[in-house]
Amino acid sequence: MTPTANPRVQGVPGLTPPPPEPPPASPNYLENGTSLWSWLSTVDHKRIGILYLLTISAVFVLGGVAAGLVRLNLVTYNSGILSEDAYNRAFTAHGVLMLFFFLIPAVPAVLGNFLIPMMIGAKDLAFPKLNLASWYVFLVGLVFGAWAILNGGIDTGWTLYPPYSTRGSQSSVVPGVVGVFVSGFSSIMTGLNILVTVHKMRAPGMTWGRLPLFVWSLYATSLIQLLGTPVVAITLILLGVERVTGEGIFDPAIGGDPVLFQHLFWFYSHPAVYIMILPGFGVVSEVITCFSRKNIFGYHAVAWSSMGIAVVGFLLWAHHMFVAGISYYSALLFSFLSMLVAVPSAIKVFNWTATLYRGSITFQAPMLFVIGFIILFTVGGVTGLFLATLGTDIHLHDTYFVVAHFHFVMVGGMVLGYMAGLHFWWPKMTGRMYSDWWSRVSAAIIIVGFFLTFVPQFYIGYHGIPRRYPNYPPEFQIYHVLSTAGASILGLGYLIPALYLPLSLFYGEKAGANPWSATGLEWASPSPPPVFNFDEERMPVVVCGPYEYALGIDQLGRGLPEPPGPGGAEGPAGRAGVTGPAGPMQKETEVVG
Amino acid sequence: MADPHSHPPAHGTSYDVTKDADTPGGLFAVYLVVLLLFATTFFVSSSGVLGRYALFVQLAIATVQAGVVAYYFMHLRQGDRVVTLTALASVFWTLILFVLFMSDYMTRHRVVTG
Amino acid sequence: MSASTHAHSPVLKHHFNDLGQQHASERLGMWMFLATEVLFFGGVFGAYTCYRLWYPAEFELASSHLNKTFAGINTVLLITSSLTMTLAIRAAKLGDRAGLYRNLLLTFALGAAFMVIKGFEYAEDLHEHIVPGASFGGEIAADTAKHGLDAGKVRLFLCFYYVMTGIHGIHILVGLGVILWLVGQTYIGAIPPENYSTVECASLYWHLVDAIWLFLMPLLYLARGAVHYGH
Repeated sequence: MTPTANPRVQGVPGLTPPPPEPPPASPNYLENGTSLWSWLSTVDHKRIGILYLLTISAVFVLGGVAAGLVRLNLVTYNSGILSEDAYNRAFTAHGVLMLFFFLIPAVPAVLGNFLIPMMIGAKDLAFPKLNLASWYVFLVGLVFGAWAILNGGIDTGWTLYPPYSTRGSQSSVVPGVVGVFVSGFSSIMTGLNILVTVHKMRAPGMTWGRLPLFVWSLYATSLIQLLGTPVVAITLILLGVERVTGEGIFDPAIGGDPVLFQHLFWFYSHPAVYIMILPGFGVVSEVITCFSRKNIFGYHAVAWSSMGIAVVGFLLWAHHMFVAGISYYSALLFSFLSMLVAVPSAIKVFNWTATLYRGSITFQAPMLFVIGFIILFTVGGVTGLFLATLGTDIHLHDTYFVVAHFHFVMVGGMVLGYMAGLHFWWPKMTGRMYSDWWSRVSAAIIIVGFFLTFVPQFYIGYHGIPRRYPNYPPEFQIYHVLSTAGASILGLGYLIPALYLPLSLFYGEKAGANPWSATGLEWASPSPPPVFNFDEERMPVVVCGPYEYALGIDQLGRGLPEPPGPGGAEGPAGRAGVTGPAGPMQKETEVVG
Repeated sequence: MADPHSHPPAHGTSYDVTKDADTPGGLFAVYLVVLLLFATTFFVSSSGVLGRYALFVQLAIATVQAGVVAYYFMHLRQGDRVVTLTALASVFWTLILFVLFMSDYMTRHRVVTG
Repeated sequence: MSASTHAHSPVLKHHFNDLGQQHASERLGMWMFLATEVLFFGGVFGAYTCYRLWYPAEFELASSHLNKTFAGINTVLLITSSLTMTLAIRAAKLGDRAGLYRNLLLTFALGAAFMVIKGFEYAEDLHEHIVPGASFGGEIAADTAKHGLDAGKVRLFLCFYYVMTGIHGIHILVGLGVILWLVGQTYIGAIPPENYSTVECASLYWHLVDAIWLFLMPLLYLARGAVHYGH
């Protein structure tokens, strides 16, 4: 292709043409040792990312099965399938597995591990052995979690509130607590590694103002992991000691305050929801710019709003405790602070929407997931404000309204964000393209199934059906049936990628270095990347900001290849001269950094 | 937020680790200061002259001790800015925990009436 | 020997550009770990503060029954071990292997002495029934009753006492293990001056554990400030 065939380069004279396709890495990171031991002893951040991917996918299936049991049981209004005790254990297993063993490591440990060094132009994370250790520690935590579940399960809910968890519960609380405690260390290790790497190992020219927004969001996430997780660790120790010895600091019999456990627990566990959602924000920023062919709108606003969420997210935990008997004055303060966190979240949504404006949008699977993310996250975020309001929270607390709210954020937001990231970087990770058609179908099914599952829960929650109860009045059965039907569709939606993604490894078309025509450093390296990410003789030197789609250059200042999507005059690439970035959009070019 | 370490120096630039080794005399002086502060807190508390302010005086002294240890023994004075920032962040986040805990525990028993 | 190093030092790991970057990363990583330790102890200190505000009399009474002599000696031991640990860094930086051995072993001895004294103290506490739970009794129980205070809240203080000193003790034990490992590394010659940051990182941890004790000491052993009990 001659340089002038690229419409963006045509519009901006003097730019370099797209680089030639780099030769395939030899060996690439997948070929560098193929024995099982070479994987189990690897210190390569990319392989550790893959190990995490396999592990958390298994957890996702287990957590999904538990959710399926819960939903099936709720089809009848009198707990027709499970005993009431088994029902308690099923929803606890769902919560513990999905939160501690899937959502928290999902993006940081899989995509973050794989991509952070590549995005900042480093050969590896700062502490490769610590990185491998984090995976093993995670496995140990998972073994304890599995032990707890196989040993009859836990019936306290994932929140483990005393005094029930310390005195009443006859279930495997201690192994479960140990599992969560241990997995917390793995979370700290990952976060610490990412923070040090971003601080100390950026490529020449990769200033803070040129960091991809995915890196910014992972930085903010890691900050929360680092500063929040130790508090839940000490809390779980105090809880475990109290359960084992029969006397402890949460014991009301000796003047202890069970609400103190909730304070300590939510000091971590509320910021933890930002550990879960912030990486999703990062994925959205990467994907939405690439598939709109536009610079991000308001780079600094998006970057700093991540940091804002990381800090403000620590100031509002007690909105989980408005009806637990905390001080009225304190509740008022926390209610106000809870409202505050809506500000940076809204800044992000507005900036993404503005990025879409007049972009040359194409709808490949990552983009479909991201659009789903933005819509569902907005619904989840706005309903969160109902719960931050003291008065309405008294009515809505512990109802299905809360369940629907956080599933909109966690599943509608985060799982879709994770799927978007997985689909976006899959060609980079594996060197193969997956089925375009099936991936779009799967995105559509997941979004439809999701709406059907959780919209009815808003309704029944608003009408006062409490969460965690296996029984409910018969007149609400239709909504639970709808919800379960939606969950089945959702399950089908997740099943499809579980088929076409592995199949793509064998039958997928080979992916080039930069199949999406994206600007980040990770795309400058061949797919799959070599062991140390880049050609070691020519480590990257960054010359511009991360999203120069309007200029049509990547972070090394080279031209971009032809973007994918419908080709020819009908496709966005062909229309670039009319509505694309190189045409009337040129004036919005902002070179950040 | 320029970071000196993100730009590698040219090959062959010498990097001398002996340059900022501590002097034994300085370390002993710091040691004596920390010991002296401990003696103060120990004897002042035992004498009971502090009354109800004991906790605050003791915590203030402990904070000074920890600060001296961090600055001299832990080489915060030689650290780059982000190390200082990390140390301050841990203090700041602990303060968040304390202040917001106190917002509940110091007002829990005040009942709103009317 | 000359401690100036070049880009191809055997200590330099492949993924770093130079030793300056490597040392800065290691130090930053250690400090970040210490930040998690501060928050870890911060959680239990926060819990302690809540109850101390609610139940000052019981906490002061319980505190007065703990053995201040043992704790005071232990404090001096730990502060001294911090000094020897810092001297070990100096020795490592200057390539003084004998000095490195000496200071590491001294630090180890001081830390081990701390644990031994702590053991005696626990034994004494158990003997005098200064424990939470059913075995609570003896003089401390009589004293509580004499002042008309709530035995439950005294036991609550003792829960804090055991959990906080126990977790701190575990940290000391980990530190002792790390120091022994450093002695081994020195023996096989793995700590040339350009690898001094290994000693530095271990010392950062040791100092933090020391600094935590400087807070535990007044909170647990010297709480008795107001002299008068009762409300």
